[in-house]
Amino acid sequence: MQYLMSVFGPAEMSEFGSYPDRESMVQALADTGAFNEKLQAEGHWVYANGLASATSSTVVDGRVDPPVVTDGPYLESKEYLGGFWIIEATDLDQALDLAAQGSKACRGKVEVRPFQPLSE
Amino acid sequence: MVASLAKRFGDLDIAEEATAEAFATAVERWPADGIPPNPGGWLTTTATRKAIDRIRREKKRDDKYREALLVMDHEPLEPLGAIDDERLRLLFTCCHPALALDSRVALTLRMVGGLTVPEIARAFLVQEGAMARRITRAKDKIRDAGIPFRMPSAGDLPVRVDGVLNVLFLVFNEGYLATGPDTDPVRAELTAEAIRLTRLIRSLLPRDGEVTGMLALMLLTEARRAARLSSSGELVTLDDQDRGAWDAALIREGHELVRERLNSGEPAGRYQVLAAINAVHTSARDIRDTDWSQVVALYDQLVALDPSPIVALNRAVAVAELDGPEVALAAVDRLEAALDGYHAYHATRADLLRRLGRSAESRAAYDRAIDLAGNTAEAAYLTRRRDQLG
Repeated sequence: MQYLMSVFGPAEMSEFGSYPDRESMVQALADTGAFNEKLQAEGHWVYANGLASATSSTVVDGRVDPPVVTDGPYLESKEYLGGFWIIEATDLDQALDLAAQGSKACRGKVEVRPFQPLSE
Repeated sequence: MVASLAKRFGDLDIAEEATAEAFATAVERWPADGIPPNPGGWLTTTATRKAIDRIRREKKRDDKYREALLVMDHEPLEPLGAIDDERLRLLFTCCHPALALDSRVALTLRMVGGLTVPEIARAFLVQEGAMARRITRAKDKIRDAGIPFRMPSAGDLPVRVDGVLNVLFLVFNEGYLATGPDTDPVRAELTAEAIRLTRLIRSLLPRDGEVTGMLALMLLTEARRAARLSSSGELVTLDDQDRGAWDAALIREGHELVRERLNSGEPAGRYQVLAAINAVHTSARDIRDTDWSQVVALYDQLVALDPSPIVALNRAVAVAELDGPEVALAAVDRLEAALDGYHAYHATRADLLRRLGRSAESRAAYDRAIDLAGNTAEAAYLTRRRDQLG
């Protein structure tokens, strides 16, 4: 099964992102990099990346003509999606185990959500 | 290659078959497509894909099986045997930590306990429709999120067993002292069901100390059930209970289990310590015969395992018997910030203040306890004690 592992972070970022100082940011990035390599080596990796700040997002409504373009983000919140992994795991237990490792590496809570199963 | 795949997928058959399939594919393709730049890497990647495909096919079969189990209607309980293995896996699935706690309790009673939706709805004072939806949502999550239908891995087992015991203890406690005012104050059907399921999990994990401790705790508590309500429907506290009405067979079995754990020499978890405390109570002919220093020593052990304010409150009740109500009251008063909204905190204070002759303060504490108590039998008991104050 495939799972989306989302990491949320505060709307306001310092120059060190959501981390208190440069040292912890560098360490978290290194740990996350190592975790990503592990995902790849063990065949769980589908895709992962970090997002630019939520204030850089734009909302498009193409259901009308011409499409309406507005400044994002789509939902107002104190915390926004900051990055995510898409992983391949045999079941939720394995996904939760990987999420715990990812959470530890990136120093953030991780939400694990399954993708719809592929139709047969 | 077989070893690395086996290590990764935890299944030697899959590793062997996937490797063989990868070589067969190579024999087929390489003459036509040419040998890839990194033949070893190509073989590993191909074998890995084959293994994942195979696991997916098998997983689908498991899923179908699990779904069939989840939708089946309750069958009468089978005798111990192969079916129990499935029942245990089902119990772990129903008590999975990814489900909300109230869903775990409802699903366990429905799927493993075989209670009907109306019965569970009544037990938790929820509308039948709402309870049916809660159970359906939980089943949907099991399917959609891929909650596995199998025994947890060895590394996860202690935490997962603890999760199952937590659910069973909730069911038991709701039966032993119902939280709401609109049901019977003591409900034998829930305590019996919790004991039955704990016996089941013990028959499958006989060496797990906490499972044994939980069963002993339930048995030693259940043994006193008949003595806990007076003929007028009032709660009877331990010191006033007719010990002749206690169930001697349950006490004997509970004591045997506690002895078994003591003889194991393994460090005791919280359920084992709670069982030991109840073993001390049920060994005494009357309240004055109780070995209170032993009870306090066990509570000290429990505080080290579980430093929660509720454990500290229960310890203080035992301290009152050993060192007097004044020492106990000082300990209880320190818990005010944490337990001000808890009826047992005020009931304990009320009793200690009464014993110290501080009637006005005692009355105020009884008032708070009665306000906060949901259980009708307990409220009736507290009201009588308050009205007896001079």
